[in-house]
Amino acid sequence: MPMFQVKPVCGGDVKIDLPTCMYKLPNVHAQQGNSCSSEHALQNGEVDPAVKVLEARQDEILRKLYELKAAVEGLAKTVNTPDADLDVTVSSSFSSQSSSSTMLKGSTDLDTLLGKDLGALRDIVINANPAQPPVTLLVLHSLLCQRYQVLSTVHVHSSVSNVSPQLLSCLGPRHPDSYARHLFQLGFTLIWKDVPKLEMKFSVRNMCPIEGEANVARFLFKLLAPYPSDHAAATLVDSWVDTAFFQLAEGSTKERAAVLRALNSALGRSTWTAGPEFSLADVACYCCVLRSGSAASVPANVQRWIKACENLGHFGPAKLLLQ
Amino acid sequence: MTKEGVQGVTEEEQQAQSKKALKKQQKEAEKAAKKAEKQAKLAAEQQSTDEDDFAKDRYGVSVMVQSQQKLGKQCFLVLRQQQFNVQALVAVGDRASKQMVKFAANINKESIVDVEAVVRKVEQKIESCSQQDVELHIERIFVISQAEPRLPLQLEDAIRPDGEGEEEGRATVNQDTRLDNRVIDLRTTTSQAIFRLQSGVCQLFRDTLTKKGFVEIQTPKIISAASEGGANVFTVSYFKTSAYLAQSPQLYKQMCICADFDKVFCVGPVFRAEDSNTHRHLTEFVGLDIEMAFNYHYHEVIDSITDTMVQIFKGLRDNFQTEIQTVNKQFPSEPFKFLEPTLRLEYTEAVAMLHEAGVEMGDEDDLSTPNEKLLGRLVKEKYDTDFYVLDKYPLAVRPFYTMPDPNNPKYSNSYDMFMRGEEILSGAQRVHDPELLTERALHHQIDLEKIKSYIDSFRYGAPPHGGGGIGLERVCMLYLGLHNVRQTSMFPRDPKRLTP
Repeated sequence: MPMFQVKPVCGGDVKIDLPTCMYKLPNVHAQQGNSCSSEHALQNGEVDPAVKVLEARQDEILRKLYELKAAVEGLAKTVNTPDADLDVTVSSSFSSQSSSSTMLKGSTDLDTLLGKDLGALRDIVINANPAQPPVTLLVLHSLLCQRYQVLSTVHVHSSVSNVSPQLLSCLGPRHPDSYARHLFQLGFTLIWKDVPKLEMKFSVRNMCPIEGEANVARFLFKLLAPYPSDHAAATLVDSWVDTAFFQLAEGSTKERAAVLRALNSALGRSTWTAGPEFSLADVACYCCVLRSGSAASVPANVQRWIKACENLGHFGPAKLLLQ
Repeated sequence: MTKEGVQGVTEEEQQAQSKKALKKQQKEAEKAAKKAEKQAKLAAEQQSTDEDDFAKDRYGVSVMVQSQQKLGKQCFLVLRQQQFNVQALVAVGDRASKQMVKFAANINKESIVDVEAVVRKVEQKIESCSQQDVELHIERIFVISQAEPRLPLQLEDAIRPDGEGEEEGRATVNQDTRLDNRVIDLRTTTSQAIFRLQSGVCQLFRDTLTKKGFVEIQTPKIISAASEGGANVFTVSYFKTSAYLAQSPQLYKQMCICADFDKVFCVGPVFRAEDSNTHRHLTEFVGLDIEMAFNYHYHEVIDSITDTMVQIFKGLRDNFQTEIQTVNKQFPSEPFKFLEPTLRLEYTEAVAMLHEAGVEMGDEDDLSTPNEKLLGRLVKEKYDTDFYVLDKYPLAVRPFYTMPDPNNPKYSNSYDMFMRGEEILSGAQRVHDPELLTERALHHQIDLEKIKSYIDSFRYGAPPHGGGGIGLERVCMLYLGLHNVRQTSMFPRDPKRLTP
């Protein structure tokens, strides 16, 4: 006989459902509804028809854009010749969409020119002496701003006691986004310093500093447009740049007069200094002619060419500084 | 005896006395004669005379005797006052007697003397003194306070640059000896220059900020709760309980901003109980702290702080060149360079520069000290500046009260400033919303009870604000290019030193 009797705790006839499957996984072949949009092909290779339509629309729009671009470029060419009636200087001082941005043809890619993007602002540092402001670089800076998003800053080094306010604001007003450096593609940092010769530093590990206004101008221009592929034309551009910086800017009165005569005859043969296209030679010659102070007493072709340069609108800050 | 006898005796005595008396009188006469001689001499010395020298000047100064050299009938002394010293000469002549020359030669070094002399031009420059084109010809010299004959350290050794000492086999004084005998070590011209420059930094700090509209406040140093983390505080017994010494005036600066002071700064001691025996850590130092409310963007705070620093550097460059040159004689270094406005780089740029230089680090890692130094060198190479700001630090490495970046949750609105590759300021925009602050504190696993009063101070209207603090000694050390912060702290405190 049992000692204690306990009432049964649970009923004896509870039905238990035993599972047949040990682990359950989500179906890998199921189509994902709202995930990343890059995955648009179904498992069997067919493309969703809705996406196809979208792609076709995108191609159509791109084609239209290219046509528009070609049309505008054509218009720009007619406008940029010296005998245009349209005065571009007023409208294009700081508007980013002016047609003169397309005058420099040729595509350049910052990655190929300046090295792989390491995820940080590519900062070009220029150390200049306030006694000799680099006017060509200011013009090139203005051209760069048209082409890329440039963060420009001006600093004064401790080796210089004071700098005129004109020099401090030579790169234009501060960009409203300048608090976020990573939003920009290129940095242009101008430091007024007591240096004997202008120098530029970019990547301290891979490049040595570049000295001399002419050489820095060449580097910066390469960011805008490649040199003419024809070697003769490229050499012509180079020789004009050198002539401008050595004889026009620093030469005696006789040398300067000789250069102006040569310039006159060159401009008689073509629209721009080194051929039919606007090039670095024009920037260099313009700035050096203005800096030498003989802008008033130049031959006829040179006068016309000066007006043409000023029509382009980028030479405004340079002219302001040289006055 | 009869009276006569007595008389006779007294007479004898008198005679004997008179002999003694005569001797005495003789001696006295001699003394009197000597005295008279001396007095005559003094009188002679006191006579004012006309010199034909154009550089006639008589002045009484309280100077210290630095050293003497006796050469026969002449004695050369070097007299010193703070940063400057001058050669003085005592020569036997109608002004000075041989005894005077001997007396001058025997004065202990570092005694304080009172001197009356004539300033004379010299043909040959005196290289060993700061005043190189004049010397003093002493006419009167008195010792006001005598120094002990044996000094624990010699000032010539203390001022010798380290390299020179090793080359020529002469002694230099090592740091511990200097710090143990700080009173004498502080007398060197180098120390005088350093601390005058430090006083200049403090003054320029106050002046610049006051001009910008800041209000100076004094915050309490005995506090009830550790402000920045709890691990490195000194505990003091406070009646029946204990209290802590403030690690930073952070909490009270922020309360002042909430109390509608808009812009405040404070200068006061900071106590950090870190057991770090490095060249740049002290347990007690002077903190210069700034806090301000801003209107649109926390960059206004950065601009304010960097402008203050640039004004300090400019003030030192323009007004303290003598002091900088004096320090450079013993501790040569490159002059300090900076840019105006100050260079501001972003953390991502710094990481890219370090990657380019071959350093491996993650995007959200904190900068280690060697990396900071390397970065300082890279920035110096590219931009030629010793002072720059690094903005937008990753949120993970900053304290809980740092405001996160609204555009990128991985980063924060915080910044560090560096001088010569070493960090001098750590600052940020602070979280001014109590809900967000609570959330951030919980994320960092901080006990909310301990910081309850801190969070409460933001519940009654708090403007967005930010700030930062610098250490006075560290800034001076880095500006002058010195290598140990104890050189710029008058009576330094570190884990191993509590006196003087």
